[in-house]
Amino acid sequence: MNCEEAIRLMDGYLDGELDPITSQGIEQHLHECQKCDQAYKTQRSLIAAIGNATPYYKAPAGLRERIQSSLREEITEDPVRNGVPGAQVLFHKRHQEPRSIRSAVPWNWLGLAAAILFAAVIAFNLLPRPQRPGADQFLATQLIASHARSLLANHLTDVASSDQHTVKPWLDAKLDFAPAVVDLSQKGFPLIGGRLDYLDNRPVAALVYQRRQHFLNLFVWPVGADAGGSTKAMTRQGYQLLHWVDSDLNYWAVSDINEKELQEFKQLFEEQVARR
Amino acid sequence: MALLLNAEHAFGLEDFESTAKIVKFAIVPKKHEEPDQSPKEELMSFEAAMLPHLDAAHNLARWLLRNEQDAQDVVQEAYLRAFKSFGGFHGSNGRAWLLTIVRNTSYTLLKKNHAVDLTTTFDEEIHGSGHESVSPAAILEHAEDAALVRKAMDELPAEFREILALRHQEGLSYKEIADIAQIPLGTVMSRLARARDKLKECLAAQIVKEK
Repeated sequence: MNCEEAIRLMDGYLDGELDPITSQGIEQHLHECQKCDQAYKTQRSLIAAIGNATPYYKAPAGLRERIQSSLREEITEDPVRNGVPGAQVLFHKRHQEPRSIRSAVPWNWLGLAAAILFAAVIAFNLLPRPQRPGADQFLATQLIASHARSLLANHLTDVASSDQHTVKPWLDAKLDFAPAVVDLSQKGFPLIGGRLDYLDNRPVAALVYQRRQHFLNLFVWPVGADAGGSTKAMTRQGYQLLHWVDSDLNYWAVSDINEKELQEFKQLFEEQVARR
Repeated sequence: MALLLNAEHAFGLEDFESTAKIVKFAIVPKKHEEPDQSPKEELMSFEAAMLPHLDAAHNLARWLLRNEQDAQDVVQEAYLRAFKSFGGFHGSNGRAWLLTIVRNTSYTLLKKNHAVDLTTTFDEEIHGSGHESVSPAAILEHAEDAALVRKAMDELPAEFREILALRHQEGLSYKEIADIAQIPLGTVMSRLARARDKLKECLAAQIVKEK
């Protein structure tokens, strides 16, 4: 790690928000570089001093009562202006609004809503569905977070090598499965390295590829008992995600390159794996 | 002043920045399938969950608005908004949920008052130069002076005051801060670092002023 990186990550380090490996990198750098170590100590003292000296504005006496009485007013059908000193009507329009959502909705609509809900629940449970969409959403969020974190903290690779014969044994030794590792530099996706990550409640392999100035994380782990075999593409928060399953392995590619290129990557990857 | 916030603003995630939003708290209508819970009972459980965070709510509003009366009005309004959407709150982090609403309500008022410092349009000419002569040691010495720190912090833009209060005073994690301030996780560290730098500059400026 160089000084520029160490300074950039300093606040995250001081706040204890970096992953252990990056933290270790910083510690090592601070050990070696006196200038950064000095900056670190100054910043640490400053943060502590500022944290202690910043006045904390506790809620004044009376605010709690004021809030409680305004909440009581909110649920009372016939609100009586109470005489709590300092109580104010913040919004004149409130009294034209229905007192409660419940009383404003006719019961037969509720019946209909309940019927629709019931039908939806039945349909949801009867439809054959390998994975719930909620789980997919959650996984997608995890994947993006993982991808973003790998770039943010400069922790892209644990083993940096464009040689698949270096990356693969390294990963095999650390995991309970053997992911296929192929180099696609001939095809415009050079292999940068590999990394261990933790997703979907298990350690997974992350293969890192580059496309021009963009990085691509390919997460690989064995298919669980209930996983589906469909290919899926989605866009979340500006990232492209592409999922496929091949020889009992789950593949999730995450990058900020466009969907077409990501599809192209998948195709090249699969071709190369088949050729081995 | 400014007692009339807009009541028709249901709680929502108002847009104050152009950065990408990550919506964290889904607002779903109050549950209809539990008509047996009386409003009174609902209020009781709301108060039990949310009133313990009153100090945190007030502190955040006070830093954002820099005015005691406004802070109290905003906290009261935020509690009302929170109560109305309490049916949609199923999470475990009541403090972060409430602070999100306090933050949004505060910004509604700041925006209404045409507060000019919503985002970072910091005058580098005034704050960025001339104080290099103040050594870190001198800043450190003065950083324990509460009145000076308060003055320096009040000079910062709202997004910096907010992130410093959330981190230094509430001790929230980057993830919680990202949720409350509605910024990507990756932005939290850099914004916090900039906020601290600016605070140091403002402290230096205050020290020079006092000399």
